[in-house]
Amino acid sequence: MSKIKKKRVGFVLDMTPLVDITFLLLTFFMFTAKFKSESDSEQKYQVKRPKATVDTTKLPEQDLVIIKVGIDTVNRDTAYHISMLNEQDRIKLSQVMIQKEFPGVQPNQNAFVTKDTVWLESIVQEARFINPRAQFAVDADRRIQFVWIERAMNAMRKKRATTFNFVTDKKQ
Amino acid sequence: MAGGGEALGGGGKQKRGKASKRKGKKRVGFRLDMTPLVDITFLLLTFFMLTTSMITPQTMEMNVPPDLEAPVEVRESELLTVRVRQDGAIFYNMGTDAPEAVNLKELHKVIVDQNVNLKNRCIVSLKAEPTVPYGIFITVIDEIHQCEPDIINGLKANGVNERQRKFTVAPMEAKDREEIAGL
Repeated sequence: MSKIKKKRVGFVLDMTPLVDITFLLLTFFMFTAKFKSESDSEQKYQVKRPKATVDTTKLPEQDLVIIKVGIDTVNRDTAYHISMLNEQDRIKLSQVMIQKEFPGVQPNQNAFVTKDTVWLESIVQEARFINPRAQFAVDADRRIQFVWIERAMNAMRKKRATTFNFVTDKKQ
Repeated sequence: MAGGGEALGGGGKQKRGKASKRKGKKRVGFRLDMTPLVDITFLLLTFFMLTTSMITPQTMEMNVPPDLEAPVEVRESELLTVRVRQDGAIFYNMGTDAPEAVNLKELHKVIVDQNVNLKNRCIVSLKAEPTVPYGIFITVIDEIHQCEPDIINGLKANGVNERQRKFTVAPMEAKDREEIAGL
């Protein structure tokens, strides 16, 4: 008996469960994905955050003033990069800073870069006027010298922003 | 991909001519080719999987006293000073005692013991050299934060149920620097 070898045409696999799971995962990742904001892509420095264990509070996503202290990847320079998270606040802050003649200010500027604590204080003060509910967060590189943080702390303290957050990464 | 539902879909191959011809025919095994759909879905899935970062930044709350002209007076016997030298070495002293070098684990024990002994009256003051890397400063603060559960347990064992936290960051002065210089 010779069995005629049948050509396997149109082999069919039921893909429904596969598609179900794939869609489920896709929707999950789509909803959890957070895209880089404009100000993030503009920055030319990287922040290696310090690691801490205790606090598990997440960073708020609005009403926040972030003071970033990073080391520039090109010239190894450090400066304060101050930005407000709310779009409205950002526009208002730019307007105020134009009046105050902040060096190199532009309308709708994302982050204000300064090394001067007087400017830092003035920005902190204006930010508090613009959004009194805003919280302050210091997002600094773990390799920078503590004096940068000390100065930022003193600036916030002078402008009565006595509660603020240090941004950290979770220790593994 | 095991694509191609066409082979089975006998009904699908029928030419759709006049309505009268289609009438009455049972639609058996209707198939839709899902290959492109699955392709795109997988593509998107991989994209989102690779771009999502699961680690979100955390925050550590800090409170600083407002900048008042009048300094707060404290009893020296209740003041626990923790100093961090430039090379990351940690020193502690109670009041006017001589500073003593400690590592993080020992510091934890010292802070817990002093807080429990003094029953809430102990004030922890952290002083860091301006040139200390910020990462070390955070590690020390983190350690001080981690003392809290142990302190609360210790206080409870001694019959004190309320915990009043007294922790502050103070600037390093020349006097502080001298005291820990040679250790």
